[in-house]
Amino acid sequence: MWRPAMSGSRDDEYTEYVAARLSSLRRLAAVLCDDWQRADDLVQAALVKLYVHWGRVRAASHTDAYARAVLVREFIHERRSTWVKRVTLKGRVTDAPAATVDHDAVLDVRAAVAALPARQRATLVLRFYCDLNVDQAAEVLGCSPGTVKSQTARALGAVRRALGPAAGDGPGGQPATRVASHTGEGAPGHD
Amino acid sequence: MIESQVRALFTEIAGGEPGASRVDTQLAHRRGRARLRWRRAGVASAPLVVAAAVAAVALAVGAAAPPGRTGPVSTGPLAPRQFDVLTPYLSFGWLPAGNSLVEGGASKHLMWLTAARKLDAQYDWELSVYAAGTCHLSGSPARELTCTAPEDNTIRVDGRAPAVRGHRAFWAGTWDTRSLAWQYARNGWAEMVLPFYPNNPAKQAAARRDAVKVASQIRYGAGTPPLVFPVQLTHLPSQWRVSSVTYVPDAGVLRASSYALGAGPPDLGADGGLVYETGLPYFDVNPPSFYGRPPCSRGEPGSKIINGYPVVVTNVTKEQLCAPRARGLTVVISEFGAQPAISVNSLFRHHLRLLGTNPANWTSKPIG
Repeated sequence: MWRPAMSGSRDDEYTEYVAARLSSLRRLAAVLCDDWQRADDLVQAALVKLYVHWGRVRAASHTDAYARAVLVREFIHERRSTWVKRVTLKGRVTDAPAATVDHDAVLDVRAAVAALPARQRATLVLRFYCDLNVDQAAEVLGCSPGTVKSQTARALGAVRRALGPAAGDGPGGQPATRVASHTGEGAPGHD
Repeated sequence: MIESQVRALFTEIAGGEPGASRVDTQLAHRRGRARLRWRRAGVASAPLVVAAAVAAVALAVGAAAPPGRTGPVSTGPLAPRQFDVLTPYLSFGWLPAGNSLVEGGASKHLMWLTAARKLDAQYDWELSVYAAGTCHLSGSPARELTCTAPEDNTIRVDGRAPAVRGHRAFWAGTWDTRSLAWQYARNGWAEMVLPFYPNNPAKQAAARRDAVKVASQIRYGAGTPPLVFPVQLTHLPSQWRVSSVTYVPDAGVLRASSYALGAGPPDLGADGGLVYETGLPYFDVNPPSFYGRPPCSRGEPGSKIINGYPVVVTNVTKEQLCAPRARGLTVVISEFGAQPAISVNSLFRHHLRLLGTNPANWTSKPIG
């Protein structure tokens, strides 16, 4: 875990932290955005907020967790406020592919995950990329553990439906009619 | 099955990191710094002082409001249309034990104060007072208070708060802040961010009670210590003004710690468009002890001697001159833009009077 140097000034600590963590923050952003250019924009915005809140960050018991929360919430906020309005996400899946179509599995999953609402995608990223448990993910997202569970289930269900019967590993294996909408997210307050 | 596929996807994405990053950490640092220090400061431009309006609201708000009134301030004097950045007429009348003013600032649209146990403390009280017409309450019941200057700031209303001097007030917050917003004068709003204790409801409730008391006893227009500058600029173009300033209490005065110059229309340029005008300088002037680590030191690349003082001049993302010790002060002059009106070298060599460390020698006229 990164720890600030005791004698360092705010700026020194921030600079040191960003230098040490930039790569991992970019990777997390990329997993959230599925686009490295957009990921860099996200990190850029998050780093500004990180500096503004550095007084709290440095006091937090888990600096990395705080930085991760800033990044994830910025992602949800951005998706809510701008991308959804301006950008048609590539790979959006509106109907389950026919069972006979032989898609590359990874591309299918990628398209299915890309079609998820930001909050659901963020939930999956926290659970399956960051390996956070439900409580930890809830803290990052600013919601209840129950919401994390339901978001995870919905997201996985949507992916499963998008992949169609070929991915049939349970009740979600049935053909779907529609993947979750991009809109209608209820993200927490965000400055 | 699906989980493992999702995990594999995320791992694959993360593994495709391109070497070149477009993230500009210096820019993020600058913008963060600007937003932090100047988030309550306005876009640089020559401030027009509406002294009469300031005095009027000072008198009006300083007096007790009629008891029992909790609606919008529809009568009485207007909030100031603009603030005089060189006259910090705002001060705390009461603070929780152990807290005191640690930093303040002003621009034409906003005056702000921060109180805490120490500078950069985890828990602090951040007061922002906006000029008239800067903020607008929307929704019925109220949902958002949007303040459009110096940068868009949307304050999400959670619910009604106890009236502040009889004027309507609201609790607001984001995922990691809690604040109190209230109408301090006609067409004028204030907001105060209070300490946030997410895991301690009792402490948070106490902070809320304290917030109402702090807000109720803020003094507008009452005498504050003078704002003084430890350096004075001379022989500058006549339209140049101090457009925004941050200050710290120091030896019984308010010492300007950072400030930017402005002239003419605002330029939303190199640093995120908050304060700085491209081509015009901004200054950080503080005792060396103000910094945890000196911002520069002798012998670094770019070192030279100007007027007998060692300085370090760099030009990476901005032109910057740093004098680690000049008459006992650490002076940093920065300019964005390819063609500054006056170079940082020339500013330091020809236009800067260093007034030393004795507050008695500091000046309330930063441009002589």
